[in-house]
Amino acid sequence: MSKFIECVSVGKTYPGKTESVEALRGIDIACDEGDFVCLLGRSGCGKSTLLQIVAGLERASEGQIVVANRELDGPSPDAAIVFQDHGLFPWMTVQRNVEFNMKARGTRAAERAETARRFLEMTGLTGFADRYPHELSGGMRQRVGIARALTTGPKALLMDEPFGALDAQTRSKLQDELLQIWEKQRTTVLFVTHSIDEALLLADRVLVFTPRPGRIAADIKVDLPRPRAPQSPAFMALAAELRGLIGADRDFD
Amino acid sequence: MQLRRALGLLPLALLLVAWQAAVVAKVYPAVLLPSPEKVAMVFVDDWDTVAGHALASIGRVVTGISLAFLFAVPLGLMIGRYRLLDTMTDWSIQIFRSIPPIALIPLALLFLGIGDKPAIALIFLAGTWPLLINTIFGVRNIERTLIKVARAARASELLVMKDIILPAALPAIFTGLRLAVGGGWLTVVTAEMIAVKSGLGYMILNAQLTFRSDLIIAGIIVIGAIGLLADQAVRLVRARVCRWQEGLTAAPE
Repeated sequence: MSKFIECVSVGKTYPGKTESVEALRGIDIACDEGDFVCLLGRSGCGKSTLLQIVAGLERASEGQIVVANRELDGPSPDAAIVFQDHGLFPWMTVQRNVEFNMKARGTRAAERAETARRFLEMTGLTGFADRYPHELSGGMRQRVGIARALTTGPKALLMDEPFGALDAQTRSKLQDELLQIWEKQRTTVLFVTHSIDEALLLADRVLVFTPRPGRIAADIKVDLPRPRAPQSPAFMALAAELRGLIGADRDFD
Repeated sequence: MQLRRALGLLPLALLLVAWQAAVVAKVYPAVLLPSPEKVAMVFVDDWDTVAGHALASIGRVVTGISLAFLFAVPLGLMIGRYRLLDTMTDWSIQIFRSIPPIALIPLALLFLGIGDKPAIALIFLAGTWPLLINTIFGVRNIERTLIKVARAARASELLVMKDIILPAALPAIFTGLRLAVGGGWLTVVTAEMIAVKSGLGYMILNAQLTFRSDLIIAGIIVIGAIGLLADQAVRLVRARVCRWQEGLTAAPE
């Protein structure tokens, strides 16, 4: 059986007026089902572009992508995305936002409401169903985004710096919650981040990106038991290794 | 709040005082410049005439603007969504919206004769351009992430239109509607002076021929009052329909 998410020599070039920009070159990724994989790198290294490509929202200039045994041609029905700026519809209540992905699939209203209720409960949003997004805090909005992504039972969860805009406490809380959800649902997660700590707290594997053109410099296995302690020597050793790989002096949070 | 609202009456009160002063000072003979009291009496003595003409004007504007709404909003949603349509229509829209509807009165009379038809046609034109341009603008300004969310969810084009494009453009559509109603009201009065034998425009022009300056001024007051009421009505509906926008836009100091 092939890998669950597979990229073979994927490249992306943006044509420009004077010169074209090569955003990604020779990306090879193979993810097993149920893996939690982080794409780590500085901003502008192409990690988000790769996620958009795997999500089917952008086209690769070269290479093949397979998601859930299907060659990618537009967004996969087996994947769901969580965006950094949460992507909630401001004119819909939390309930209707969470129901949207199901509505897009033609799920019946009664079933939508029931499933939404379940995932709102899982993400700690019971009682907020009738609120509008602007009435919620940043952390709660992102919970709604995650709840919406989970409703269709995706085999792959693609997350584009979902906690990037949150304060440290909220971020750490949501990281814990995400791990709990992941352990329950066992979906494959592809998670883009620029935070070394975040990558090490969450991932089974960290793919380290270097920029211009974006490529994968290293594939680091994180074999630490969860919950992970950032103060433990093993964690700190891995963090130091990653820092060296991206060429940063410190965690550039 | 109520008291503050009353501040809006202050300029009108000053105008009334200046008017009365001009009458007392006999700036113009009483035949040309009637006193406020005499004009007020028009609303008692000639109420049926004024109300009848006002209703005729209102009917034309409601018909013309409704037709413009039904035509321009769907068209604007399509143009805003599909680049090809935009390229195709952009120049035409810019050309036609620069033509004042009044300039088309002679043509309207030639093609449609005297009566309701030319007036409604001109109001339709006056309303179409602001509605069309604002609808397109509203669609253009949709957050890109939201469209990505819809694509990733594999939402049908119909659902995208209904649940995303239309509600996102709604505030701009209402801005267009306010402009359209204002423009339509200006147009109806002018059109009635030439093309029809009823309505406030006709009433004013006719009053000039019979030296009824009190009726002229009464007509002008009614035109202004209805203009204000129509604008308030559109704002009220907008506040209802776009309730989700509360708290998203900055309130003036």
